[in-house]
Amino acid sequence: MEIFLQQLLNALSLGGTYALLALGLAVVFSIIGLINFAHGELMTVTGYAVCFALIWGMPFPLAVIAGLGVAMTAALLMERVAFRPVRGASGTTLLLTSFAVSAILRVLFQNLISARPIPVSIPASLSGVVTIGPLHLGMIQLISIIVTLAMLLGLNLFLHRTIAGRAMRAAAEDFAVLRLMGLRANSVVATAFAISGLLAGVAGILWVAQRGSVDPLMGALPVLKAFIAAIIGGLGSLSGAVAGGFLLGFIEVILQAYLPESLLPYRDAFAILLVISVLLFRPQGLLARKTLVKL
Amino acid sequence: MPRIGKQAVKGCLTLALPLIALAIIAEFFMPASYARLTALYLIYVSAVVGMQIYSGNSGIISFGHAGFMALGAYGSALLTIQTSLLSTSLPNLPQWLAAIAGGHSLWIGMLGALAVAGLVAVLFGLPLSRLSGSAASIATLGFLVIVHVTLVASADITRGSQTFFGIPRGVSAFVALPVALIAVALARIYRDTKGGLALRAAREDEIAARASGVNVTRERFIAWVLGGLASGAAGALLAHFLGAFSPKDFYFNLTFLLMSMLILGGMTTVSGAVGGTALIVVMVDLLRGLEGGSEVLGVALPQMFGLTDVGVGIVILIVMYRLRDGLFGLREVDERLFPEAKVTAIGAIEAPSAGKASLEVHGVGRRFAGLVALENVSFTVRPGLVTGLIGPNGAGKSTMINAISGVVPPSSGRVLLNGTDTAKIAPHKVPMRGLGRTFQNIRLFRNLSVLENVTVAADSVAQSGEDSRALAMAALNVVDLQDLAERPANSLPYGAQRRLEIARALALRPSFLLLDEPAAGMNPAETDALIAVLQKIRSDFGIGLLVVEHDLKLIMRLCDHIVVLNKGEMIAEGTPEEIRNNATVIEAYIGKRRAAA
Repeated sequence: MEIFLQQLLNALSLGGTYALLALGLAVVFSIIGLINFAHGELMTVTGYAVCFALIWGMPFPLAVIAGLGVAMTAALLMERVAFRPVRGASGTTLLLTSFAVSAILRVLFQNLISARPIPVSIPASLSGVVTIGPLHLGMIQLISIIVTLAMLLGLNLFLHRTIAGRAMRAAAEDFAVLRLMGLRANSVVATAFAISGLLAGVAGILWVAQRGSVDPLMGALPVLKAFIAAIIGGLGSLSGAVAGGFLLGFIEVILQAYLPESLLPYRDAFAILLVISVLLFRPQGLLARKTLVKL
Repeated sequence: MPRIGKQAVKGCLTLALPLIALAIIAEFFMPASYARLTALYLIYVSAVVGMQIYSGNSGIISFGHAGFMALGAYGSALLTIQTSLLSTSLPNLPQWLAAIAGGHSLWIGMLGALAVAGLVAVLFGLPLSRLSGSAASIATLGFLVIVHVTLVASADITRGSQTFFGIPRGVSAFVALPVALIAVALARIYRDTKGGLALRAAREDEIAARASGVNVTRERFIAWVLGGLASGAAGALLAHFLGAFSPKDFYFNLTFLLMSMLILGGMTTVSGAVGGTALIVVMVDLLRGLEGGSEVLGVALPQMFGLTDVGVGIVILIVMYRLRDGLFGLREVDERLFPEAKVTAIGAIEAPSAGKASLEVHGVGRRFAGLVALENVSFTVRPGLVTGLIGPNGAGKSTMINAISGVVPPSSGRVLLNGTDTAKIAPHKVPMRGLGRTFQNIRLFRNLSVLENVTVAADSVAQSGEDSRALAMAALNVVDLQDLAERPANSLPYGAQRRLEIARALALRPSFLLLDEPAAGMNPAETDALIAVLQKIRSDFGIGLLVVEHDLKLIMRLCDHIVVLNKGEMIAEGTPEEIRNNATVIEAYIGKRRAAA
């Protein structure tokens, strides 16, 4: 029981990060149909921003804020420079564009910053272990669970209680009609990217805090997982992305805990395979958007 | 037996001759470095053409083909590795594998590569083929990761992330050439086969393809496996070209490179894949020279790690921003240079048993989460007559059409098409049982030619030995589009697009035809032309028509029998004359008080 609870907390922490990333992907996808490959590079940029802010002597909380600011700015810039020229194009075009942007950014990080990991000095207070009854939980894991839940709650409030949030939800349903209602497409899209950047930033900081270093390929693997999480949840469905993220986290943690040692190196392959086999039964994902296809 | 048309043969020759010439020139007249580059080019051609078979025809971008190359590389290398190295480099090889590993020739290795790539393609293709669009793309990405993780983790067989070495090198341009030629021919022939055309149709419009009898899942699966085999063969070649490699050689960088090769030329054509690959190979070779830092025009350039990736990335961006269909556009080179002779119409489009056909709606109801869209509706569509289905907005007309065509199964009741419940068979089988349909918002295969649009449907009902293109031409004759057969469908004027949709449905040799608002958006002249066509279809072919329409004048002119729906219920049925005078119908349309006045 205790072991199970312990694993449950681990899964919440890992799945939460995937959920944040998948949610960031879904927010953008639901509005302009773009699967943003460069989402991982937003994570990496955040990591570098925090890293350099700390090197320049900023206190940790300020560095976090700076990192999030940089993440959102980078997301907005990305939209303005790279994705606006192809807005409205087919999903394939958008996908390839973001794939190219992601690859170019990686090479830039490698050349302009460093190809090697740079250590990030995370405050010692974050590396402790919290003991709750019989459970041991890393401080960072605990923070990551709390932050994830806070972000999900905050985003939910934003989407349901504010005008900008309602506009976003409406845009996800039918962007064309929203524009006819007189809302500016550019501002809705920009809001989506800003939110997506913020989510990537938060996930990036949590990721860096757990690993203690930043490197140019840092965002690649978690975002790959987030893609998978997003299609399992049903592409473009926000709640689906969160569900898919947690599901993938749970599957990974359970496989990690219960796979025989000889099979452990295959963990990621099993996880992806399991998740994709879900699609055999639910080709549209777990919580597919109810889009009415007008025949 | 796949259809190998004259055009496909022309296409194979058009693409093969330059490749053969290139290999001969490179091997006999050029320095060794160019010969090597040519061999590498031919290897990439096989790989990219494999990708084109799947992505180009289905429209789903694949990240997975580098994974097939990896499977092909390891699958062949295990068979051909020098036996003397086996015990040192792979001491823990499982016994069954150790028994067959090592010492074989490249061509035996190639068989191993095809076996591994083919098997894995089949297994992964089963779930993948059910996905569309971006979700399918991400699943292929998942495939790439699975292959990579598995190769790294299976250290006993693959040496994990360490270099796999000791593979006899010996892939010259002449060794790579036959594989490239087979791959190109496979891709070019597949493109024009029934399955290839059907998949291209599904790329343009999946729903319309299903309504034309295309089993989209099956066609995607076939293309995935064929493409996987071609890329797997390329992987085997690359392994024996390099002599040593590791899993990371077949990961994102390679994927990125293959993708730029595919889209620069244009992924919809084999010519595009072959041409784009050539340009990228040359570009990468030039950039790689600059990467290590060099002097250009007296200026010393610094070392620039990953310059090729930036170059490839920029090429992709330029293509996406400026020329989305790639340098070669949407048509094959051979289709431009040596266009085909005009097809003559042969074959009748009469339904085999139009007179005895039956389409009965029995007590059909449909609920959407509490909302009752249809409630206990029953009527019969008779062959040789035009039945009109009318009703105010929200009456349930579209739901009715979707229930009849099997797209939205009814919650209660049944629709019997010649005795078969349409909800009980797969949606793509309904059209093959004699039910054609058109769509409220035109759904054409926009980038296919007019003739191809109709051929897709003709293919799904043509008997063996019958020429479905001639049959398609016959259907085009009926709607008077035979002279525009070679035009792309999206270039037709609006009224002609509507008629093309009807021709496509007719090519299914239907006993019944569902027309969903066929006159929507038409001007009076176009409407008149449409009515003439519909009357001809009814009288000449004995087909039963079910027409949903808002234009009541058209309905009254055209129909023999009218069914009226309101708020999900059938409120009247009868001849145009009876309906015109039916008080309930008038009330439903214009309200109670006005009706009384």
